[in-house]
Amino acid sequence: MAGISRRVLLGVPLAAGLPADAARAWAGGDDGVTIGWPSDVPSWDPNRRFVPDAQPIFKMVYDQPLDQDPRLNLVPSLIARWQLAPDARSLELELRDDVVFHDGTPMRSADLRWTFFGRIAAGHRVDTAHAWRMVSDIETPSATRAIMRFNSPAPTAPAWLAFLGSFVVPRDYMRKVGLAAFGARPVGSGPYRLAEYQPRARIVLERNDSYWGPKPALRRVTVEIMRDTATRAAAVQSGQVDLTISVPVREVERLARMPALAAELNPIARVILLQVRDDGGFADRDIRLAAHHAIDKKALSQAFYGAAAVPLSLPAPPDPQAHPDDFTFASDPNLAIQLLARSGHSAANPARIRMATTKGQFPADYDIARAIVAMWRQVGIAAELEVIDYARYFELNRANRLPEATLYAFDNATGDPEAYGGYLLNPNLPFSPWKDVALGRKATGLFDMADAAERLAGWQALNREAVEIGACIPLLQSVQTLVRRKALAYRPYGNGWVLPQTMEWV
Amino acid sequence: MTLLAALARRLLVVPPILLMASLLLFISVRVLPADPAGMSLPPTASADAIAAARRQMGLDRPLAAQYAIWLGRLVAGDLGRSVHLRRPVTALLAAAVPATIELAGLAMALAAGLGLAGGLLLFALRGEAAEMLADAGTTLLMSVPDFLWALLFILVFGVLLEAMPFTGRLGPALLQPGGTGFLLLDSLLAGDIAAFRSAARHMVLPAAALGIAFAPPIMRVLHASLIDVYCADHIRQARLRGLSPTRVLLCHALPNTARPVLKLMAVQFGLLLGGALLVEEIFAYPGMGALLVDALRNADLPVIQAVALAYCAVVLGIRALVAGLRLALDPRLRAR
Repeated sequence: MAGISRRVLLGVPLAAGLPADAARAWAGGDDGVTIGWPSDVPSWDPNRRFVPDAQPIFKMVYDQPLDQDPRLNLVPSLIARWQLAPDARSLELELRDDVVFHDGTPMRSADLRWTFFGRIAAGHRVDTAHAWRMVSDIETPSATRAIMRFNSPAPTAPAWLAFLGSFVVPRDYMRKVGLAAFGARPVGSGPYRLAEYQPRARIVLERNDSYWGPKPALRRVTVEIMRDTATRAAAVQSGQVDLTISVPVREVERLARMPALAAELNPIARVILLQVRDDGGFADRDIRLAAHHAIDKKALSQAFYGAAAVPLSLPAPPDPQAHPDDFTFASDPNLAIQLLARSGHSAANPARIRMATTKGQFPADYDIARAIVAMWRQVGIAAELEVIDYARYFELNRANRLPEATLYAFDNATGDPEAYGGYLLNPNLPFSPWKDVALGRKATGLFDMADAAERLAGWQALNREAVEIGACIPLLQSVQTLVRRKALAYRPYGNGWVLPQTMEWV
Repeated sequence: MTLLAALARRLLVVPPILLMASLLLFISVRVLPADPAGMSLPPTASADAIAAARRQMGLDRPLAAQYAIWLGRLVAGDLGRSVHLRRPVTALLAAAVPATIELAGLAMALAAGLGLAGGLLLFALRGEAAEMLADAGTTLLMSVPDFLWALLFILVFGVLLEAMPFTGRLGPALLQPGGTGFLLLDSLLAGDIAAFRSAARHMVLPAAALGIAFAPPIMRVLHASLIDVYCADHIRQARLRGLSPTRVLLCHALPNTARPVLKLMAVQFGLLLGGALLVEEIFAYPGMGALLVDALRNADLPVIQAVALAYCAVVLGIRALVAGLRLALDPRLRAR
């Protein structure tokens, strides 16, 4: 805009009578931050609905019994110490004694019992009722001690205390005001209090100055809900928000060239894979394996994620525990052609399948699906591509109506291998379209395994077997796109959490 | 026939239309390949839990029985609960409807203002070389849809000039005054001038995107109506009486164009509400459009049918209002 100052332009008739603010004043200012977020919280009851994108927002208002560090290791939070019994049928917890809810009442073991047992028994419609259905009771010998009892081994219980929906809510306040009033005036123990909430529009939070943990540097956080990716990119570029996530990769590359902005592609604990069926056009194992060998994952990463997404051989991110280095699945189109030939297929007589993909659910999903279809075509697999809404994945799977292959991204903020292979490959759970019970039986057995080392080895072997028989086609570790003002520092987490309590202006 | 009787006669058709719309909506939403019971539970829910939810939601009953239950609750003011958000749909609508009506109202006022100015300009230029140019200008305006205006405005006024906000309804430093949900009104009632200014600034670009897209038809209808009216005897007489051209135009010709223009605006308002769907999404404006887009994304059937029905009710309400206005302005219509 050489030769034209912004002040001059602000004098145009459009702005007459409506004086413009400085761009920075629209955003957070020095003592606050404005964030462009892609979705709203489903409700202010944090136990009610599991929505991964809402977790960072809930983590401002509520605390979890356990927390995770940026490398996803479990660390103390409301719980100072914990001990899982050798048979994984009970979990002893010692709570902090200095935690106070926003209404001034202290957090006690009774609140923990209410959150993970009492309100479920009371019939509240919360997603935690399904996640914690193995809890038979929670004993509270003192105000700072609790013992969770399980009716089956629960080796991942500590991980779940830092996972989806596991936020402690105040029993007495919730009982006193009722669920509807709690949703309107939520009370947690987190580093921020809710100051204003406009559904599907914005959330304003003020710092909780009596927070028991590290005090946030920023006094006010405004979360602007912006569903449209282009709007989020434009908003951060123009300074109307200070930070946003999930913008297209191409936009990240463009915005990275702007002097005031930092644009990042951060690998996170999310895997992109093809969920496959064991029947129809994929009944033949050779065809499934050919479909896997035909895909050049490195090329997909280069083309759609600027090479930041790590190609995967197993359905788990490149963590030494879940994804050992001694197993790789080669990209080899010639081998794919040979395998297809064994089944009587070629480029002239292709194997015919259907494939589903979401469009806009995660960065470049539809583009990746189209690229895979093109790679398959070259070796002799003709795939008919259809777009489905993410919300319909489970419903189609329940009705056994998913196509042979579905492009899918699976989040697992805990990083625990159970929540990858155990959920993705288990026909008893709604994530997996693979219905052969043999694999499912093995997964179910691992769910109950108490010994940590044995359990880990079991998941590694199961993941490996699944890939070797073509029960799933892992593709890439996903990346989170994030654009922010350069002067705004934040702490990146391996599971993609973006927490305003870790932010400060530098 | 009195004004009230004529208006009541026109309003009589509203309930049956709403009933038909509710039936069509209910059937079309049930035809959608989505299972509200399954979607109301987490993915890890068992088949038994889903079956129980289906029974609880009445989805195991015949379609006619389901419609009767839904209609009964609708009449009692209960629109059900959002499957995805597990909140009463009424509360979601109550937050979204005022935002959309406020935006659409401002956009319509802008479209009317631009339409009036443009129509008068076109009429003033009739017979001159510039008329063709002005006509081409309106064609150009008409050929650009509202969502493209929205993107263009964001690019120019939001990103390049950084002159106007283009997301949400209020600046981050301000808290929204409570009340009716009509933010301009609420901020005035609360005496919060900063909030009023911020809300007005946030509405400029989305309202302009919608308004500009809907102004050209008003310009053209006004232009054509003025040409017709100027052939009428009373205009000729006014001229012969020596009245100034401005007075003839404003006092004698323009009022006689109100009927077709108002009729067009009533039709336009329905289209404008439809256009708001995309524009709200682009500007992250939390109105009915954004609510519907969210609901479609999550296959949230109770919200989809409630928003669609609310659209229908708002459009019928606006049409009734315009019908009343036309009846008040033109007594001849009351006899029909």
